[in-house]
Amino acid sequence: MDIELREEDLAFQQEVRDFLQQHAPKNSSELWSKRNDWFKALKEKGWDCPKWPVEFGGPGWSPVQHFIWDKETCAYSLPPELPFGKVMLAPILMRYGSKEQIERFLPDIRDNKVNWCQGYSEPGAGSDLASLKTKAELSADGKEYTVNGTKIWTTMGHMAQWMFCLTRTQSTGVRQEGITFLLINMKTPGITVKPIFTLGGSHHVNQVFFDNVKVPVENRIGEEGKGWTYAKGLLQHERSGIAGISRTIVALDKLKKNARAVPDGDHTLLDDRSFLSRIAETEIELRALEFAELRSLADAQHTGEPGPASSILKLKGTEMQQRMQELTIEAAGIYGLNQGFKEAGPKFSKMGMMLYLNGRAATVYGGCSEVQKDVIAKRVLGLVDA
Amino acid sequence: MDFRFTEEQQLLRDSIEKFLREDYGSAGVGIAERRKKSRKVPGFDEATWHTFADLGWLGVAIPEEFGGIGGNLVDTMVVMEELGKGLVLEPYFPTVVLGANAVLLGGSDAQKREILPGVVEGKILLALAHAEEQARNNPFDIATTATRHDSGWTLNGSKSLVLNADSAHQLIVVARTSGNRADRNGITLFLVDAKSEGITRTDYPTVDCLRASEIRFENVMVGQSQVLGTLDNGAEVLEGVIQRAILALGAEAVGMMEMLHRDTAAYTSQRIQFGHPLSQFQTVKHRIVDMFVETELTRSLLYRATMEAEAGHPDAQLDLHALKHKVGKAGRFVGQSAVQLHGGMGQTEELRIGHYFIRLTAMDPLFGDKDYHLRRYVDLMSIPEGEPDANILPF
Repeated sequence: MDIELREEDLAFQQEVRDFLQQHAPKNSSELWSKRNDWFKALKEKGWDCPKWPVEFGGPGWSPVQHFIWDKETCAYSLPPELPFGKVMLAPILMRYGSKEQIERFLPDIRDNKVNWCQGYSEPGAGSDLASLKTKAELSADGKEYTVNGTKIWTTMGHMAQWMFCLTRTQSTGVRQEGITFLLINMKTPGITVKPIFTLGGSHHVNQVFFDNVKVPVENRIGEEGKGWTYAKGLLQHERSGIAGISRTIVALDKLKKNARAVPDGDHTLLDDRSFLSRIAETEIELRALEFAELRSLADAQHTGEPGPASSILKLKGTEMQQRMQELTIEAAGIYGLNQGFKEAGPKFSKMGMMLYLNGRAATVYGGCSEVQKDVIAKRVLGLVDA
Repeated sequence: MDFRFTEEQQLLRDSIEKFLREDYGSAGVGIAERRKKSRKVPGFDEATWHTFADLGWLGVAIPEEFGGIGGNLVDTMVVMEELGKGLVLEPYFPTVVLGANAVLLGGSDAQKREILPGVVEGKILLALAHAEEQARNNPFDIATTATRHDSGWTLNGSKSLVLNADSAHQLIVVARTSGNRADRNGITLFLVDAKSEGITRTDYPTVDCLRASEIRFENVMVGQSQVLGTLDNGAEVLEGVIQRAILALGAEAVGMMEMLHRDTAAYTSQRIQFGHPLSQFQTVKHRIVDMFVETELTRSLLYRATMEAEAGHPDAQLDLHALKHKVGKAGRFVGQSAVQLHGGMGQTEELRIGHYFIRLTAMDPLFGDKDYHLRRYVDLMSIPEGEPDANILPF
């Protein structure tokens, strides 16, 4: 056991720092205006798809290098990238997609040219995803599927050109074996996207309706009825990304800075020992999680799988996000209530409240905490189901 | 960065685990005899202690020149985790972790030669006389005085909960030689023969079936050569000892917490109520998962604090406080949950889970409780400089 970074890792850390210094947006206005420059710089450096395997153009980083990258980038505000294409679909495409599908879809995913959305949950299929009913029927000539049904909680569905979607192609037998993985062009006639407004008052999730939507058979990933197997592997990738431990650590540091500017009589909020204690308790959990993540990365390096620890990371990582958001609105005090007048109260107040309200979803999406616990009980502790 | 244990560490772990599983209980120090054993001096099995010595475990962290193996903090962590799982009564913590480290960190070459080889061979037992009634959590609040005279020093004062003092050959006494009662400066450590005139001991069993003493020092004369470390600068050695104590207790706690969630999973899988194993009820199952998660988080902090201490990392002190806080909090949760989920059986001393629960409870106030270490964490926690940051978006 040794905590020190090796010489080559220290060199990599410096390389990352230099790169960020040179190319990362300097302030929040550059976040949007310099967005394309940033993605271009990433691509030229070969760092635009860090998690991809080398044969598909990834940089082939070690777990420690990934950790360094996450840690260093999180200190910056970087233009956001949706995870659906690069992080969630790409690994499935690489593993189960045909050569034609890879050539057709992967380059645009890499260049952020196409927005993808995920079609998994349905009004009747949330935690129990395998009960999904959106039906796909293959035509007699075997050339196209006709899709009918509905998907819900589709993040950025209203901005997406494509959806990767789980559909039911068989209703008898084992539920998991009748599911097929389809790629659906969102412009196909018969698709309707309806907005859903969430607690923070914003629109980023939707319900998507399919009314006799035609999907060519070439858009099916792998074999008919095997979609569940393909998607299960993908859920692992989704969960390991959701934990967001390094990001929460940075957010907690920002909260400390912001608390110093929140007046509390003749003092500031940073002089309040009980508030500081709660920040400290959250930070201690995050320091534990940060090391748990490193341990799980090390497992991944030695066994090739992120391991059961990734389930712990999602479960506790999202709880800590929520605790940090909770402390943020407490710091804002009465100014968290104001959603109109910009100038009143600390500048982080409005955003803090919105993040808190929308942040409740983190322990629900990607497998809710209760399901995560069932998974840990079964896979890690070997407790059998009833 | 490397999280793997060496082959030697794996072997060490396996050999301790095997010994404790197969042979330990037969020496009359198993679960059934624990309470009884603790009622009489010395409260452990001396033959077993010599077996520990023969197997080389007492010298794991002692340099080779003093007869040890010369291991590091990770090696001690491996030993303590296994000893914790085995609910060992033998005084590894007082003698090897507290005593030998005090000598190693503060002692002169002559003192090290006098004491350490004897510790490795199992012939010398040590006890740290540190805690005092008024001090509560502050390790530097020392009222016991040492006053100088012609040929040495005179000790006066009282010490509490001196672990295994009734079997120790030498006491390491933390005394004040200058300054005010709670000053960090002005503390000096003394190596005192346990049989010295003027020492009065009241020995007792502890709730976790170990042995401890209240000790009164009345004009105890000690020679100049018995000063351990530099005069008035004992706080530095004491801090080193406390660091190793917290890491060792952390490892012991993690070992016990691991056993607690495993035993609870096993018990609730066998116990049938309402026609089903208890572990199939989601409320039971999820609590076991919470026990597991808390254990793994504590383990992560243990690895972090241990590796940082070994490397002299700038965050070492911060994570030491984090670890002790977490051990207190998570240890309590995991222990209480195990007792609760074992129902009636959890209330008895028949199963080892009850003993783990008691030991975890007893561990919290040692070397600062969870609230104290949270306060120290707050004192050291970094607060970034700079203007408030309105951009709190998570990207």
